[in-house]
Amino acid sequence: MTNNAFLEPGNDEPDQLNEKLLHAAIKLNTLLLAGVFGCISGLAMFVLTYLSLYRGLPQPGQYLNLLGVFLPGYSVSHSGAWIGLFWGALIGALLAAMFYRIYARSIPSQVQEYLQSGRSKDDLMGVTLRFDGNYLGLALGTIIAGGLFITTSWLVFRGTAEESVHAILLAQYLPGYSVSIAGGLIGAAELFCVVYLICRLFSWIHNTVALYRGRNPL
Amino acid sequence: MTSKADTDKAILMAAFAKMDPVALAVAVGTVWALILMTVTAVLLIKGAPPDGEIGGHLELLGIYLPGYQVSWMGGALGGVYAWLLGAVVGFVLALLWNMTHYLYVVMIVVRSAWWRLMAD
Repeated sequence: MTNNAFLEPGNDEPDQLNEKLLHAAIKLNTLLLAGVFGCISGLAMFVLTYLSLYRGLPQPGQYLNLLGVFLPGYSVSHSGAWIGLFWGALIGALLAAMFYRIYARSIPSQVQEYLQSGRSKDDLMGVTLRFDGNYLGLALGTIIAGGLFITTSWLVFRGTAEESVHAILLAQYLPGYSVSIAGGLIGAAELFCVVYLICRLFSWIHNTVALYRGRNPL
Repeated sequence: MTSKADTDKAILMAAFAKMDPVALAVAVGTVWALILMTVTAVLLIKGAPPDGEIGGHLELLGIYLPGYQVSWMGGALGGVYAWLLGAVVGFVLALLWNMTHYLYVVMIVVRSAWWRLMAD
């Protein structure tokens, strides 16, 4: 399917979602979000590396260098900044795409709500995005918790679990977490709950402010 | 009964809905500030381990946030920093999101006009 689906006729059945248009819209937003986040996270890695290089007294990159465990070739150096830019862009884009694929499951219900509210006279470009805290929490929680489990498992499989003195510090915030498969699972479950709650709070703040400012949330 | 045009319009609204930069700035800033203040407070409430100082690693944030330290005052200062940083990130993110959508819409309109012109 191409993005031309925006210009093509879909099904003609009223009361049914135009699946072709819906999928084209999700695909487009996935690409746009992946592009935006790829750029932001790549640049963030680049800037952080240089900040650490020039402000990381007395040993530049003493801790940031640990990212090299997960990102092959990365180090706090001039060449490492470019490698960090590449990894940051790649991982940022992939995670953003995964995030939107999960979050987009909220679109059909948002569309149904909109149709039931009888606001079909609204200006097409005049509406503001309304975050769905439930799906936002599910999407971000899954990705962040999955990330914790994968990185913990990576430390276990490469045989450096015992030396991972920094990873174990997470146990300060996630009781029961340890650098082991079981500990990773416990930590991931706890982190999922924390992220889910934060996303509910975030959505509530965003939607409340948007409404207060007289915006027209979808 | 809902017409097909209405459902298609609703899908496009969901896909192309603008982000409110101010709302996103406030939300991201507030959440980041709360997170940084909470992680600082957790360490302060738990207290120092028998053989170490409180938050030796978290305090390294002071490299990027001048003046930040693991103390109640440092946590409050870190909260202000996190709010400002989160607000800027949220604002820029919303602008980028809106801009990419506008650019895409312009691209579609131009392409559509071009093909119509060629067909004529």
